[in-house]
Amino acid sequence: MPHISLTEWLTRAEKDRRFRENATAIRHIPALQGSYAPYPHWVNPLLQKILTGQGIGKLYSHQAQAIELVHQGRDVVLVTPTASGKTLCYNIPVLQKILEEPETRAIYLFPTKALANDQMTEIHGLIRELKANIKTFTYDGDTPDDARQAIRKQGNVVVTNPDMLHAGILPHHTKWQKLFSNLKYVVVDELHIYRGVFGSHVTNVFRRLKRICRFYGQDPVFICCSATVANPREHAEDLLEKEVVLIDQSGAPRSAKTFILYNPPIVNRELGIRQSALTPARTIASNLIDNRIQTIAFTTSRLNVEVLTKYLKDTFKSKIPKDDHYVTGYRGGYLPNLRRQIEKGLRERSIMGVVSTNALELGIDIGDLEACIMVGYPGTIASAWQQAGRAGRRTGSSLAILIAKSNPMDQFIVENPDYFFSRSPEHCRVNPDNLLILLHHIKSAAFELPFEEGEKFGKEDLVELLTYLEEKGVIHRVDQRWHWSAESYPADEVSLRTVNPENIVVIDTTDTGNHKVIAEVDWDSAFTAVHDSAIYMVESQQYHVDKLDLERKKAYVKKVDVDYYTDAMTYTGVRVMDDFDTKMKGRLIVQHGEVQVTRKVVGYKKIKFYTSENVGYGDVDLPEREMHTTSYWFTIPWDLLYSLQLSRLDILDGLAGLTYCLHHIAAMLVMSDIRDVDWCIGDKSGEWYVRRGDNRRMITTSPSKPVNVMENAYDPTVFIFDAYPGGIGFSENLFERHNELVRAVRSVITSCPCEHGCPMCVGPLMEVGPSAKSAALKILDLMDTP
Amino acid sequence: MSLRDRLGRLTGEPAIPNQADSPQKTIGELRRKIDEIMSRRERIARPRFAEAWQKAIPLEHVVAGEEIRTQHGNLFVSRNSLKGNDSHGHVHISDFACLNMEATSFLSYPPMTIDLALEDGLFLDTETTGLAGGTGTFPFLIGLGWFDAGSFITCQLFARDFSEEKAMLRYLSDIASDKQFLVTFNGRAYDLNLLATRFILNRFQDTLTAKPHIDLLHPSRRVFAHRLENVRLSTIETNILGVWRNGDVPGFEIPQRYFDWLRVRDGKLLEDVFTHNRMDIISMASLLKHLADLTETCQETGQGQHIDFLKMATLLYERGNPEKAQKMLESLLGSNRLDVAIGARRSLSLMYKKARRWKDAIALWQEIVAINPHDVFAVEELAKFYEHHTRNFGKALEMVRKLLDEARNLSNTERESLEHRLHRLHRYK
Repeated sequence: MPHISLTEWLTRAEKDRRFRENATAIRHIPALQGSYAPYPHWVNPLLQKILTGQGIGKLYSHQAQAIELVHQGRDVVLVTPTASGKTLCYNIPVLQKILEEPETRAIYLFPTKALANDQMTEIHGLIRELKANIKTFTYDGDTPDDARQAIRKQGNVVVTNPDMLHAGILPHHTKWQKLFSNLKYVVVDELHIYRGVFGSHVTNVFRRLKRICRFYGQDPVFICCSATVANPREHAEDLLEKEVVLIDQSGAPRSAKTFILYNPPIVNRELGIRQSALTPARTIASNLIDNRIQTIAFTTSRLNVEVLTKYLKDTFKSKIPKDDHYVTGYRGGYLPNLRRQIEKGLRERSIMGVVSTNALELGIDIGDLEACIMVGYPGTIASAWQQAGRAGRRTGSSLAILIAKSNPMDQFIVENPDYFFSRSPEHCRVNPDNLLILLHHIKSAAFELPFEEGEKFGKEDLVELLTYLEEKGVIHRVDQRWHWSAESYPADEVSLRTVNPENIVVIDTTDTGNHKVIAEVDWDSAFTAVHDSAIYMVESQQYHVDKLDLERKKAYVKKVDVDYYTDAMTYTGVRVMDDFDTKMKGRLIVQHGEVQVTRKVVGYKKIKFYTSENVGYGDVDLPEREMHTTSYWFTIPWDLLYSLQLSRLDILDGLAGLTYCLHHIAAMLVMSDIRDVDWCIGDKSGEWYVRRGDNRRMITTSPSKPVNVMENAYDPTVFIFDAYPGGIGFSENLFERHNELVRAVRSVITSCPCEHGCPMCVGPLMEVGPSAKSAALKILDLMDTP
Repeated sequence: MSLRDRLGRLTGEPAIPNQADSPQKTIGELRRKIDEIMSRRERIARPRFAEAWQKAIPLEHVVAGEEIRTQHGNLFVSRNSLKGNDSHGHVHISDFACLNMEATSFLSYPPMTIDLALEDGLFLDTETTGLAGGTGTFPFLIGLGWFDAGSFITCQLFARDFSEEKAMLRYLSDIASDKQFLVTFNGRAYDLNLLATRFILNRFQDTLTAKPHIDLLHPSRRVFAHRLENVRLSTIETNILGVWRNGDVPGFEIPQRYFDWLRVRDGKLLEDVFTHNRMDIISMASLLKHLADLTETCQETGQGQHIDFLKMATLLYERGNPEKAQKMLESLLGSNRLDVAIGARRSLSLMYKKARRWKDAIALWQEIVAINPHDVFAVEELAKFYEHHTRNFGKALEMVRKLLDEARNLSNTERESLEHRLHRLHRYK
């Protein structure tokens, strides 16, 4: 069958009646012309000659603007799309300075190694052609010991990541005297990643970095690159605590893009069930790849990456039997070699289809894809545009299609295309003065340099915090200075990214003499991905987890070939530690404050491939995990609920339905990623929780024991909490907007066309029961009474 | 809510001291958990020294020393000296008079090239607040030692608080300015790096750490590792130097002693630390003598064993003193220890081979085979010689085959190597 082009494919699709029925929006975004500017006069002529020889005879307008500002010593943040030449915006000023003053040093920060490798190829090429004695080195966990000394002394450009800066460089800054004494530039790529908890940590790392630079008499210029977010300048200024100039008008040309919003058809009207998003994804992807239109499919979970990859591989197995890599999966847990292979295959077009988590959202060069399928809304507007941006970097036309899943947020998005297309992306928030985080970095900073009278670090009272640490015995004060006075190494105590820095290593024991490490899973995900008896997939090869050894951080697996996959079931419990503020809404008590969250993985479901039937359950015995964070919640007195004349079970179902919707709408209102907030229904003392039993809802006494308790004992409370330890600031916002939240939830549930409830409003009927929708509405009425 | 209260809330400590109910229990638990998180890597349980219920004794009452005033502040210095008749283990101070400085220069790597006198050396050992390394580790006690007119002087510089560091470093620099070389135990990896860091942090010029330096750990490891459980200074002291310490403070306790001192200023806390440090320095001197002596006589004494001489000879050869190495090896040929006899012949034969003294080399290989017919090294060397120099393939083949047939305990690599050689030799037929 002859191949058709993407343009032809799009034309046919738009003419297809059934396709059009399900496409809620087909937008054509026109191509953009480029806008150019000449090289500034101060650019080294040889450098300019080399760049011109590479085809860059003039700069894009934003590049010229950026390098001019940096040359003047201003801190900048660049917000321009991928393939707009942002690396030149920092490479030119840095190389220029080094050519003028050979002892100049710069630090390049990338969040991952893969990105670092990718972005460094450009500067290496330039250095080679300049034939100058300029050295760039990568300094990270993999750098061998004997190389480290050389890098410290000689590297003009040190490429590293925030974690290494935090634990490996700053606490040993005297060994880096050469670097810090000559540090002129700090380049920070993918700035938007530094938000939430990670961003809060990184802000503090920057505080320590600047403090150390001051010690060596330097005040480097920061050059930041960010993806499109709602508040790039504010975010950069929050991270750097300096004034930053924003450059967001890209001069790079942009190809035309067709953006489609697609809602899978309803297959069971009464139950309100829509076709799974994986189904049209599979069909469309197969179709495109069949026509050699290189396609990337993003899914919202690692599990779905494996499932969809398997479906696609099965499709192409019969067509291209020898090439198992025509379609591949991609996610962070794959080992680095495999990931490099896949990236290369994409660039060389030997791989025509890739299914990925948002791991491929970032700037890793994977070449020239033409189509992007988003299986489910990625959770934020910013992510959606970034994923869509993966298609059509250099070629004439491209396609992005967002396929909605069955949940309120996705449904809202596809059914309200104007909302999506006009919406500004999310805000990046950080809270660097979160006490736990701040305290930790003050310890690290004290380790690096004693604190002196009159110094400031963060917005809290530094002296009070240092005095607190003195009482703890880790700081000692003498002569107006506070010194680190403990044996330990504070930078080791906390990882910047997760609560627990350790990874679980997945070991394939199928070959008895030859055990192999096949993947790594971070600590938190391990509980749901590699618990005992889980089916874990890599590149859609299935493995059965024989044993998860938490103590030794290993998961032992064996290859299997079964027709199902597993999905873990987690119970969450919340206990109030302290309330910061209270207000009454009628008889409803609305509060926000600090809570302790307990999570326990209790079992798993076995789900058959293709039919998605539930074919069994299993138990899991894993320890509870605890986290301390902030939350917004409201309590409804039982007697008020009883006045509704509904049975207790119906009330619980209604609450569950209401909370399901509330969770999604809350995330949308505060413009956070849905994963940044989580929910729970229970009571404030943490004595009981509402949990789904085998058939209906029930009350249980603890995360693991399904025993009924006295129903009137406590008043039910609905919690929406920050999913990160220490909290990031969403709960206070939600507390303030409680009324708006309730109204929005009510509007979504009321206007939903289903009869008794559906995933788009209160949740799938199988999970919430037939009376959930009506009960939820009645409860909402109660909540609204003054 | 005040910062204090918020912190207390986060860590689970009650803002009001008296709370008797169950929330207290769960809060206490939370505090424990938070503390666990915050001190994740504290493997060592800190033994809390007797607190201030005991009256704090001034340092001067338990450690002989005095406060010294400098332009950078004050510090505490304790001096001691050992005279000619005094001994430390097997060594008398007067023995140092015949220390061979030329041999000593080979103990450093690369060998020291300057013209040295014993009095030019500065022995150095620090006590610090931890092994973590990095800018937050503080050397609160810098122990120094040197020879002066037949006595061995120890001089310990002590910072009674962090604020005395500048004075301590300045005082150290002044003493070091008169010295030409340093002697440490593991100083290359640890003490000198730490001092270099402290100089930078205090913005002082560092004229110390670039000096020629003998790190005794390395030659000790080369010479003694094969027969000691480990090469810690304490192990070497007991097994080789004949030094016994009574009630020495364990190393891991030392940081906490200093932290406690900062809080309660009880001199008793530090008495042991000063003693420990002084003993370390004197032992280093003793060890230096012992190692230097190993290059001299190959008489087996209680202190030196033939095998130590063998190891030392190899070390000297590698460090560019083949003549001395050769002499030592030649004197070991008559050893009644089998491993030494063979080992000496092996090393010596390689030196002869390199110098193309074939006759001498062959003689040694044949001697080895006479002692142990299954010595793989000797057989292979002879086979190689026969193959490449006399072209006597038959003889070579016969030797290799015989070894393969008869030897019982060949390792996989040995067997593979021999088989490979056999294969080669067959091709000549």
